[in-house]
Amino acid sequence: MTEPLLKVEDLNVTFTNYGRTRQVLRDVAFTVAAGERVALIGETGSGKSVTAKAVIGTLPKNAAITSGAIVIDGRDVLSMPRREREALKGTAFSLIMQDPLSSFNPVFKIGTHLDDVMRFADKRDGINSSKAERRNRIAAVLRRVQLADTERVMNAYPSELSGGMRQRVLIGLALLHQPKLLIADEPGTALDVTTQDEILNLINQLVAEENMALLMITHNLGVVRKVADRVVVMHHGDIVETGPCTQILHSPAEDYTRSLLDAVPPLYGPRVTDLEQSTRQPIITIEGLNKIYGRRNGYHAVRDVNLTLKQGEVFGLAGESGSGKTSVARMIMGLSRPTSGNLVIDAPAPARGKRLTQIVYQNPGTSLNPKRTVKQTLALPLKSIGMDGPARENRMQELMGLVRLPQSYLGKYPHELSGGQKQRVAIARALAAEPKILILDEPTAALDVSVQKTVIDLLLQLREELGLTYLMISHDLSLMRNFCSRIAIMLRGEIVEEGVTSAVFAEPAHPYTRALIAAIPVVTDEEEHLKPTVTEEERMRFLVKSTDL
Amino acid sequence: MADMKMLEPTDRGLSAGYMMWYRFSRNPAAVIGSLILLSVLILAVFAPWLTPYPKHIGAVVDFRARHMPPDLEHWFGTDKAGRDIFSRTIFGLRVSLLLVIGVLGISVPVGTVLGLIAGYFGGWTEKLISGLTNVMLAMPPLVMALAVSNLLEPTLTNAMIAITLLWWTWHARLIYSVSKSIASEDYIEAARLAGAGPLHILFREILPNCVSVISVKTTLDAAFVILFGATLSFLGFGVKPPTPDLGSMVADGRQFMPDFWWEVLCPGAAVLYVTLGFNLLGDGLRDMFDVES
Amino acid sequence: MQQHPLIAILNRLGTFALVMIALSIMIFVLARVVPGDPARMALGPAATQEQVDALRGQMGLDKPLAVQYLDYIGKALHGDLGFSLVSQRPVTTDLAQTVPATVELVLVSVIFMFLVAIPLGVITAHYRDRPLDHIGRILSLTGVTIPSFLFAITLQLLAARFLSGWPIIGRLDHSLGWHGGPTGFILIDGMLAGRFDVVLDALKHLALPAFALSMAGIGQITRITRSSMIENQRKDHVLTLQSFGLPERVIIFRYLLKLSSIAPLTIMGLEFASLIGNAFVIEMVFAWGGFASYGLNAILQKDLNAVTAVVLVAGLFFIVANLIVDVLISIIDPRLRRKEAR
Repeated sequence: MTEPLLKVEDLNVTFTNYGRTRQVLRDVAFTVAAGERVALIGETGSGKSVTAKAVIGTLPKNAAITSGAIVIDGRDVLSMPRREREALKGTAFSLIMQDPLSSFNPVFKIGTHLDDVMRFADKRDGINSSKAERRNRIAAVLRRVQLADTERVMNAYPSELSGGMRQRVLIGLALLHQPKLLIADEPGTALDVTTQDEILNLINQLVAEENMALLMITHNLGVVRKVADRVVVMHHGDIVETGPCTQILHSPAEDYTRSLLDAVPPLYGPRVTDLEQSTRQPIITIEGLNKIYGRRNGYHAVRDVNLTLKQGEVFGLAGESGSGKTSVARMIMGLSRPTSGNLVIDAPAPARGKRLTQIVYQNPGTSLNPKRTVKQTLALPLKSIGMDGPARENRMQELMGLVRLPQSYLGKYPHELSGGQKQRVAIARALAAEPKILILDEPTAALDVSVQKTVIDLLLQLREELGLTYLMISHDLSLMRNFCSRIAIMLRGEIVEEGVTSAVFAEPAHPYTRALIAAIPVVTDEEEHLKPTVTEEERMRFLVKSTDL
Repeated sequence: MADMKMLEPTDRGLSAGYMMWYRFSRNPAAVIGSLILLSVLILAVFAPWLTPYPKHIGAVVDFRARHMPPDLEHWFGTDKAGRDIFSRTIFGLRVSLLLVIGVLGISVPVGTVLGLIAGYFGGWTEKLISGLTNVMLAMPPLVMALAVSNLLEPTLTNAMIAITLLWWTWHARLIYSVSKSIASEDYIEAARLAGAGPLHILFREILPNCVSVISVKTTLDAAFVILFGATLSFLGFGVKPPTPDLGSMVADGRQFMPDFWWEVLCPGAAVLYVTLGFNLLGDGLRDMFDVES
Repeated sequence: MQQHPLIAILNRLGTFALVMIALSIMIFVLARVVPGDPARMALGPAATQEQVDALRGQMGLDKPLAVQYLDYIGKALHGDLGFSLVSQRPVTTDLAQTVPATVELVLVSVIFMFLVAIPLGVITAHYRDRPLDHIGRILSLTGVTIPSFLFAITLQLLAARFLSGWPIIGRLDHSLGWHGGPTGFILIDGMLAGRFDVVLDALKHLALPAFALSMAGIGQITRITRSSMIENQRKDHVLTLQSFGLPERVIIFRYLLKLSSIAPLTIMGLEFASLIGNAFVIEMVFAWGGFASYGLNAILQKDLNAVTAVVLVAGLFFIVANLIVDVLISIIDPRLRRKEAR
């Protein structure tokens, strides 16, 4: 039995903040063998990132490794002197991080990064190469990661390339350097799902061709299924269970793993919930809506969009970045003026200070003013609808009850709340002035999947209780499958497909819809089989190519 | 999008006040700076009672005691008119502090308000205010201050006016850029959608988020103002004699260098001391707030 | 979408022109709002009212302000900045004599500043929290807190006491028989003429004033370089490059250094403001004879045209310096050259 490439044994880590110490990792142990693909999965606070940092050697100053061992390539890393540990960073493993933009030095060209890495890789192998020679080899590598216009890429600065291209270059760097272990920290999270799919495929291919080992850190079970041979599940600093990928995903032994799997919204199969259709009148009708940003040769964000929003329904507007879905929503909200087209609102004008539509933002971390307490944030809309002292107090208590938060939270600041709690406050704020329509802008994208479930359930209950209509903007089709009654898919400003959710998913007509659904990383094999097919030619025509700007 | 997943609540259960105090008290720069400033404040406020020769700030002349080196009677020695330099230095510190309060007391509010408005409203307001500040910032402050204070009688108040006229622009520009970036945050739009008027948004939503930046800059500015004022009076544009002023004391003493070095070094050291206090405190505050200035 | 660099430059020049115009109006008005009659001051209390009025007419002081301004601008663009009442010569002549002295001093100070501060910043960042860092930080703190006049005087004191024979006043030893050269910069002219004894002497004279002038800037730039290096060290790209095998020295001296030089350059633009201000003090203490001391004198004597000209030159210098800094930064940082298409 050969020695594994990476062995973590009984690792215990504590963090000390403001004089208080807490245990962050408890007896964490796992291995990664040569050529093996291991996924470390967990939600926020699970300790997966801390574990990765411990292995890489980038734990912050206030962290302490109280016991345990990390053995890389047979050497105990923790007992090494600092210099040796630092040197290890260049030889034992390579890193691909979340945000491809921040992985490059912005003031140097891509070509410079690539050439330097290649130059030192050659030195390490004892090869003497010329600049021209290296250039050719770099071009070859770039082509292997499907970047055809190699000259352009090499002469570009990082900020000039798209996210997908940058991610590919990072993979290219790995090909140049050829590490034994590749550590990938949530790669592709910052990218569109179709791009992410391509990147994951590329990583798989690379790891297989070069016989590299892969340690992938992620929160997405679908990604795990796509990329891992073995899975390590973490929760609150403990390892909950480990095992081969198929076993964990199909017959998990622990409750926590089961709850994690349950919380993932299914794309197909018996667990899918269909929301009932609304039979009521349309509350908003849009015809021929257009939005062009900028003056001459402006950016045409929305092209001839028609849609109706029926009272009481949950309408989903799906698309990737740049599809125009946010622009449409903002026009419906009245935050931006259409360049042309009709927007008809069929509802009585709201009373003084009240609005028909309100919005719940994507990122609860930035949608609440960090210097205002929950109470102050909620008081604002109540004041503008004319409520005074006692009436306001009552209403605030009511709102907190509606979003199932304890009254004591009124005095708290956002930094004292978790992501899910902050999102509930945002929902309470949106509901405070009694809107009829709620725009949900990727409301759970920033939340863990288990928290997502509770927030979605809350939203559904509120819709019942208060008779609201929802317009949901998202790129997460599995969520929308279970949450929206009707759905429209947008691509580059146009609606390419629209209809009742179950119908659209069962028989997606437009190639883009099919490509979009096919790119979603699902958790079970059955779902994978039920996904629609899309030909290569269609893919080329409709997908935003991640190999070009 | 990538950083959104890491929404760990930062140290739940700890009030913001406790966290700040913790960081402050463990920051040596902040603590030393505060102690220095405290000592300066006490000296300045209680000057008439603390100094050994309070009358020497006036037109006192004691020819027998001229140019005496530092000794037990006169800790900083005496100057060309026999006046105790220590007492005069303490009163000089008072003058410097008054200058700081006067200049910053006006510049900071004016600059902050204008910066907030320019950053939030955009459009013509923004162009106007930022254009104005750009022009005024194109002028090296000392040159302008010299020109302006030359027009007016050389008194403390006028020096204050001269400096204030320029100083607000530096604050305005800083607050302008902070305000502009905050104005694009989701919570500001949410506040608008909740029905908040511009006044509420400027002063209750945006301003509280600027406090850290303002405190750091104001403290560091205080150091600058003191140096600036001392330089102005050194060049001859400060208060009229015999009122003690650290800069003019140095200028006076300069003619007698190197023999009577204490007449230059002692007031100069006082300027250094108080400037050090403000700089250290400002640095400490900056570390504490984790602010990039 | 890249903005064409030419357009960016034209943009900046346009702003520059606007700022100069606004500035000139401001200064012009300010200088003429002086209480006290410049003509009277020039001629003295003994002169008769007719003589004063005649001089006023000659100086154009009886015309409306706007006309005076346009006259002034018109002449200025032709190189005529008026007549100095104090020196009794055209202001341009005075400037030609004094400006090079100040510019030479400031340039040498700036070069010295960067030569000292950047390495100091890099070293203190690298040896963070170790003794070398503490020493460096105390040095830079001193630079920032010490009043320039105090430092200048102290330097003179120390030089007089410990370096006997080292010059502490003026630009040059007059016994060397140097009569100036084409550019007005002694260092350049001396070298062109092959008179290295002059160049050496000029350097000796420059040493103390340039050191004093650069002190505050050294303090600021060291600190900013240090914090920039430390901040950038934590960024993802450092870790990524390390993990792909680049040795530490390459990362620090190539990648980090270039990135971290942006912050000090930005500060440098603002530093020029205090640099020009401090030049007044340094020139006064070291009797430098540059245009700062000329200006000081002019202000005291209410020499109208001289004051206006000096202030304009100071403003011009500042704007040009900032322009150069902006261009340098945009060369380094490609993100600044981008203009959003949307």
